[in-house]
Amino acid sequence: MAITVGIVGIGHTRFGNSSEYDLADVMAYAATDALEDAGFLERRREIDQVIVGNMASGMFCHQSAVASSLVSRMDMEPVPAELVENGPASGASAIKIGYMAVASGMADVVLVVGGEIMRKVSGWNATDIVATMLHTEAEYNMGLTLPAFGGMFTRLYMEKYGLTERDLALVAVKNHKNGAKNKYAHIQAPCTIEAISDGPEAAVVNNYIAEPLRMYSTCPVSDGAAAVLLVNMDSPKVKDFRKKPVRIAGVASATDTHCVHNRKDPLRLDAVRLAAEKAYKMAGVGPKDISFAELHDAFTILELAISEEVGFFERGTSFLAVRKGETEIDGRLPINTSGGLKSKGHPVGATGVSQAVELVRQLRGEAEEGRQVKNPRYGMSVNFGGFGNNVVALICAKD
Amino acid sequence: MIDFSMYGAKAPTIKAYKCLTCGTVYYPAPMVCGKCSARRDPVTGKGWETFDLEGSCVLLTWTRVWNLPEGYTEKYLLFGIVQFENGLRASGQLEVEEPKTGMKLNATVKESDERPGNPVNVFVFKE
Repeated sequence: MAITVGIVGIGHTRFGNSSEYDLADVMAYAATDALEDAGFLERRREIDQVIVGNMASGMFCHQSAVASSLVSRMDMEPVPAELVENGPASGASAIKIGYMAVASGMADVVLVVGGEIMRKVSGWNATDIVATMLHTEAEYNMGLTLPAFGGMFTRLYMEKYGLTERDLALVAVKNHKNGAKNKYAHIQAPCTIEAISDGPEAAVVNNYIAEPLRMYSTCPVSDGAAAVLLVNMDSPKVKDFRKKPVRIAGVASATDTHCVHNRKDPLRLDAVRLAAEKAYKMAGVGPKDISFAELHDAFTILELAISEEVGFFERGTSFLAVRKGETEIDGRLPINTSGGLKSKGHPVGATGVSQAVELVRQLRGEAEEGRQVKNPRYGMSVNFGGFGNNVVALICAKD
Repeated sequence: MIDFSMYGAKAPTIKAYKCLTCGTVYYPAPMVCGKCSARRDPVTGKGWETFDLEGSCVLLTWTRVWNLPEGYTEKYLLFGIVQFENGLRASGQLEVEEPKTGMKLNATVKESDERPGNPVNVFVFKE
């Protein structure tokens, strides 16, 4: 019989500007939060494995071997520790590998920490570092960046389905409304549709980044870390923790072509669809069972496109659901209850773990007033690596 | 057209690849043919031939990017994805006054030193 894996502790720094701090310290802060939450801080050396998700500490911070650094910073030696890198999906990949370690029987307790410090370098440099995940010869060398691909994808979607820039602004308004209530969010400020779309100054406030994407269609550059403590729910050790675990019902990933231009249909995100299908199958549920979702809105268009790929809406209709308020906190299917990457922020290596923390907070009923989903049963997250070429889907359940 | 040979310099080109076992064409180069699994040895090139990817193409989508990464001095740059007559697609820069999806373009190649490291060859799609 397969081992059941759960999340028994969560930790999170406030995302934003932590550039004056050391990456290992920032990750250790979130990890300590998670251990305290689980009531396991004093017994941390009994953890079987530490797995760190980080994308580019070598380039952002001129720092390598961060997993070793984290363990030492927390006085946890000789616990084994390794790093997992999968671009902006490093965090969810770290959770997936942690899940595999527990499910295989090799470990009973695994600490997963995702973290990134991006703001030690200039915005131009950060854009360049993030772009190194593209195909070197055929994309990066051309001057292309992730926002450039976001813009080109958005134009195709607009021309095919009739999406407008106002629709993208509505996603931002919704996510900022949620993020304003999230104590961990980078931008804890709501925005209005008048300010960023309808008003006379909107084009100035919400300037173009990569047409037709504007500033409020794009996530900020953030620092931060998040951590989850995984446990074998079938082990007697499960009684040693302060809180009841939230079960990981499904976790899966898939890949797609590295070069975006080589996808048969450039509007399809096959890796998202395949990862979600595998996670649904593993969990024994479907899109209709999901109570709320955290979707990788590095660009607001991605929240829409991912929500269609995972089966929440028919193709080309997700923005109509946003117009009707279906993805609001009190809507039929709340999406990005944390504020999403748009408002909560996107420290690339931390994001996948941060999404899992939000799933647990919602399923425990611990989200702040005004953004707690009513009686959620299943929460789903999608962490998007590259421009959709390496994607992880996670489903957590409250039993 | 400048005759580069008179300066002893070669015009920059970007290569596409053809698997001689099954005839499938690629850009950029794979290490294994996706259709027949023939290996490509990047040193000898045996079993594969290369050809310049250039000429007539159609614009599939485009964007104007205002937040360029470090190394670029322009206020903005246009980028696009095109499809060539042989079915291959490529991403690159766009020098068009009023881009429109579906418009016919001509793929040219320039040398660029804007990215870190050695100069690289870059597609520039023009009317």
